Amino acid sequence: MMSNLTLASGDPVAHVINHPFIVNEGGWWIWSSAQTNLVLSGLILLFVGMFVAKAVQTGDESHGHKRWVTNSRFAHMVEVICGYLRESTVRPLLHERTERFMPFLWTIFFFILVNNLLGLIPLLDLHNIVAGQFAPEIVAQHKALIGGTATQSIYITAALSLLAGLMINWAGVRELGVGGYLKHLTADAPIFVWPIIIPIEIMGTFIKPIALAIRLFANMTAGHILVAVLLGFAADGFIDRGIIGLPVGIVSSGAVIAIYFLELFVAFLQAFVFMFLTTVFISLLAHHGDHEHDHAHEGATAHA
Amino acid sequence: MKRCTLMTFLAVAAMNSAALAAEKSSVIEAPKSGIIPAATAIVIFVIVFAILSTMVWPKIIAGLDERNEKITGEIAAAEDARKQAKEALDEYEKNLADARAEAQKMLEETKTQQSALAAQLKASADAELSAMREKAISEIDAAKKQALNELYTESVNLATTMAGKILQRQVTAEDQQRLMDESLAEMKSVNS
Repeated sequence: MMSNLTLASGDPVAHVINHPFIVNEGGWWIWSSAQTNLVLSGLILLFVGMFVAKAVQTGDESHGHKRWVTNSRFAHMVEVICGYLRESTVRPLLHERTERFMPFLWTIFFFILVNNLLGLIPLLDLHNIVAGQFAPEIVAQHKALIGGTATQSIYITAALSLLAGLMINWAGVRELGVGGYLKHLTADAPIFVWPIIIPIEIMGTFIKPIALAIRLFANMTAGHILVAVLLGFAADGFIDRGIIGLPVGIVSSGAVIAIYFLELFVAFLQAFVFMFLTTVFISLLAHHGDHEHDHAHEGATAHA
Repeated sequence: MKRCTLMTFLAVAAMNSAALAAEKSSVIEAPKSGIIPAATAIVIFVIVFAILSTMVWPKIIAGLDERNEKITGEIAAAEDARKQAKEALDEYEKNLADARAEAQKMLEETKTQQSALAAQLKASADAELSAMREKAISEIDAAKKQALNELYTESVNLATTMAGKILQRQVTAEDQQRLMDESLAEMKSVNS
């Protein structure tokens, strides 16, 4: 009943967005629920990463042939994901530079993925239930220590995109040199087109990470709000329990389960898209001027 | 009924919308709510990236690469072994075919030699048999002639003796020779 009330109360957006926990006198959010989610995701990545690394690495020779086998189904799953991302997604684009960028790309993929998945766990509602018992004023002030989806915050997706953008342009400078990097801003166009091309290319340098940020933010926000709306309908319906309320509750419950599975897929998809487009943008700067440039653009557009 | 359902649904939606408006929640808050969380995200990501890059990804990369090399090596070794086995099988089949061909050739040569030897032996036996038969025939003829000559001589002598007794006179050597010649000529004409 408490859960239903929690779900039914307030607006759906409130279940999705970041909530403050500590706010200073100037109104700056010093700590918020999304930051706890970020810390939690970091700890999950570190502990799970250590466990997977131990399971994946080749064992001692005394184990015979079994030393080549990954001794954990979960670790094997992560290994398959890592192998797929490296061999089927990144290597066809970055070729010999794959090994250099793979740690960053794997990290950003799993960092976004874990935060997306944490957003699917109703941590905020659990927090409100617990806090409602021990510190009701926190719930009353719409504060939360944990919950929501970190990758739903445009500021956090912008921060991740900033890191991706820095990596993309650092890779470009490293590959092309400062001169080559500046030259790519001309897109090898005739000099009289430069006044048009150079501003466009400079804007493109910023638009690429901005697009990454908005895409992740929008996908996470839209899906989670839809889930929250449907849960609100379901809660309202079951609370009403009338001749109309009950069917609405049942239908909404079925729909929310279906959408939840879709969100599970979207969590993986958006993590992949962010990592993949970062890879594409890195590869574009390396092959600028080649015929591959157009193909890469086509690929990026198709996947976006 | 349907109309009632629709109206109730719209009422519920309106209530949610009203609640949304009352709470004034927005998916994009003011910058004061997002700058420090964004900085936190960068700090946490950099820390996680640094730790994973030193303690996790190298082990996973090594594991993936070693396993890849192991599998690639095993496949290459299996292909080599299969290639060697195929070569050995081809060589064995070739040797077997050569041996069969050689055995067949030897068999045919032996058959040819046997046929030639048999023909030679047969020819030799036939020649020897023919010579023996001709020799026997000539010896028979010679014996026959000799017997006939002796018979004629004896018959002439006997006839001469009988003729002398009948004629009561001595048959001279010339008479005897003449009679013998006449008799022989007559006998030859009868025999021929």
